Amino acid sequence: MKYRTLITIHYVTRTLLSALLLVITACLVSTQVSAQGAAEPVCITCHSTLPEKYSLPVTLWRTSIHAENGIFCSGCHGGDPQDAVNAMSPARGFLGAPKEPAIPAFCGRCHVGVLKDYLTSAHGRMLGKGGPTCVTCHGNHHIIKASLELINEKSCSRCHSFDRARTILASMQNTEAMIVALDMRLIAFKSIGTDTEKLEKELFTVRNHFHSLFHNVNVDLVTKESVVIQAELYKIRDALVQMDTTIWKRKMAGAGVVSLMLLIAAVLHIFKKNFKL
Amino acid sequence: MAVIKKVVDWIDVRIGIREVAEKELTEYILPRTINAWYSMGSVLLFAFVLQVVSGMLLLIYYVPDADKAFKSVTAIMNDVPYGWLIRMCHAVGSNMMVLALLLHMLSVLFMGSYKKPRELNWVTGFTLLALVQAISLTGYLLPWSQLSFWATTVATNSANAIPVVGPYLVEFLRGSKLVGPPTLGRFFALHVAFIPAVIGALIGAHLFFIKRTGISAPPFGQKDSSNHWQGDRYRHEEHPGGIPFFPNFVLDDLRSIAIYMACLMAVVFFDPYLFFPKDAFIPANPFVTPAHIKPEWYFLANYQTLKTFSNELIGLSLQGAAMTFLALLPFVDRGNERHPLKRPLFMVCSLGGLLLWIGFSIWGHLS
Repeated sequence: MKYRTLITIHYVTRTLLSALLLVITACLVSTQVSAQGAAEPVCITCHSTLPEKYSLPVTLWRTSIHAENGIFCSGCHGGDPQDAVNAMSPARGFLGAPKEPAIPAFCGRCHVGVLKDYLTSAHGRMLGKGGPTCVTCHGNHHIIKASLELINEKSCSRCHSFDRARTILASMQNTEAMIVALDMRLIAFKSIGTDTEKLEKELFTVRNHFHSLFHNVNVDLVTKESVVIQAELYKIRDALVQMDTTIWKRKMAGAGVVSLMLLIAAVLHIFKKNFKL
Repeated sequence: MAVIKKVVDWIDVRIGIREVAEKELTEYILPRTINAWYSMGSVLLFAFVLQVVSGMLLLIYYVPDADKAFKSVTAIMNDVPYGWLIRMCHAVGSNMMVLALLLHMLSVLFMGSYKKPRELNWVTGFTLLALVQAISLTGYLLPWSQLSFWATTVATNSANAIPVVGPYLVEFLRGSKLVGPPTLGRFFALHVAFIPAVIGALIGAHLFFIKRTGISAPPFGQKDSSNHWQGDRYRHEEHPGGIPFFPNFVLDDLRSIAIYMACLMAVVFFDPYLFFPKDAFIPANPFVTPAHIKPEWYFLANYQTLKTFSNELIGLSLQGAAMTFLALLPFVDRGNERHPLKRPLFMVCSLGGLLLWIGFSIWGHLS
C-alpha cells in the first residue's frame, strides 16, 4: 500500500512538473515569438526543450523528407503553429496523433493517390487486422523519402517472407536506376541554362506513377506497369540525347567558324607581308 | 562592278566622297615601324559594334520586367532560333572586350603613347575603360538570375562605405532600399541607352583626337625614342616615308579582328560557360543568399581590396586614388623618354602595379 502510494505521488509529481515545464516553455516561447517576429513554429521551439519523450519527434522530423520540403508539425497534426498557448487546441484544428487504423487516412489527406493504391493492395486490405500502415515502412516523424531502399529483407521480413518483395524489387530496380540517371542529367543540363522545365515535369509525372507501384504489391501489375513507365522514360532519354546532339553539332559548327577565322587571319597576314606599295 | 562605279560616281559628284576617302585612307600615313598592338583600337571598335548589334537583337525578345526577365533570357537561349549564339556573343563578347581594352591600355602605357601631346587621348580612353566596366556591371543584372541579383546587391552596397551620402547613394543606385524591380528598370536604361550613347560619343572624341594629333610612332628600333613635341603651337605628327592606312594597315587591322573573332568564337562554341557560374542559371531569389557570390574577373581585384581592409572606406579610397592616378598619368609623368627600358622607375611601378592587380584578382577568385 505504502509502495503504491509512493508510486502515485511520484507519478503525480512528474506529471505536474512536466505540465509546469510545458507552461513555462510556452510562456517563454510566446514572448520570444512576439519579440522576434515569425521564427520556427511554436510546436518545434517548445517541444525541442522538453524531455526526450516529447522532443524526440522534433529530432526525428528534422532529418525527414517533410522537413526537407518545409512541411511542419501543423501540416499533419493541425493546430495553430503561431500561438503557443492554443497550439494544441482542437478549436484551432489540432488533431493529435491518429490511432493505427486511421493512419492511412491521416497521411492520405495529402498523398491521395498513394492512399488509393495502398487501400487496394494486399497491405491495405489487412488494415486494422495487423497489416502494415504508412508508418510501418516510412516511419513516423523521421519520414523517409519513397525509394526502393525501403523494400529490404530486414523491413519486409518483420511480417512475411521476402520472396515476393524480392521479385518486385528486382523488376523495379532498372526503372529506378533510369529515373535517377535521367534526373542527374536534367540537373546537369539545367546548370548550363538549358530549359528543362517540360522534361522535369514529365519525369515528375512518370516518377509519381512509378512510386504508386511501391504500394501495390501485385507482381504481375508491377512488371506490366514497369514496361509502360520505361517507355515514357525512353522518350525523356531521347529528348536528352537530342540535346547532346545539338551541343555536338554546335561544336562542329564552332570548329568550322574558328578554323575559317584563323584561315582568314593567316591569308591576311601573308598578303600583308608580300604587299608592295 | 559598273553599277557600283555608277553609284560611287553619283555620290562623288555631289559630296566629293573620293577626295574624303583619299585624304582619310590612302593619304593617311602611319609610321613604317607600326606594330600589331596598334590594331587593338580597331579590334575594340569592332567589338563595340558587335556588342551593339547583338544587344539590339537581344532587345527583340528580352523583357526588362523582374517577373519576366529570367524567363525571357531562358527563351532566348532555348527557343529563339540562334538566340543562344547571339546571347553568348554578347555575354562572352563583353568579357573579351574588357580584355582587349586592358591590352590596348597596356600597349599605350608601355610604348609611352599617352605622353604629351596625347593627354586627351589617354583621358578619353581611360574614361572609356571605366564606362565599359559600368556597362558590363549594369548588363550583369539584366538576366535577373541569382548571380545577377546578388552580385548587384554586393556591388551597390559598396557605396554604403562613403560617409554621409553613402546610404542615399545606395538607394539612388537601386531605386529602392533593396535591389528590386526599380533597380532593373534603371540598370536597363543605363545599359541600353545612356552608357552606350556616352561611349559612342567618347569613341568619336577619341578617334578625333588621334586623327588631329597624328598617330604616335613606336619607341622601339629607334636611336632616339624621346618625345620632341614643343607645345608652342598645333602640329599634326607626320611620318614621312610611312605606310598608308589603306590598304596596308587595314590588312593588319582585319587580321587582328579575325584573330579576335577566332578567340571569341572558340569560347562561344567550346566553353560558353567559362564566364557563367551555376547561379547564373537560377532565377533571382531575394530570400536565398548563395554561398559564394563573386563579381566578374575584372572586378575581382576591387572585390578583394574591399575584403582585405576591415574598413570599406579605406578600400574604396585606395581604389579611387589608384584610378585617379591612372586617369591623370600623362599629367604626372612629364618625362620625354618613351622607350620602356629607358624608364626604370616607370617599369618598376607599372609592372609592380600590374602584378598587384593580377595577385589581388587571383586572391579574390580563390578566397
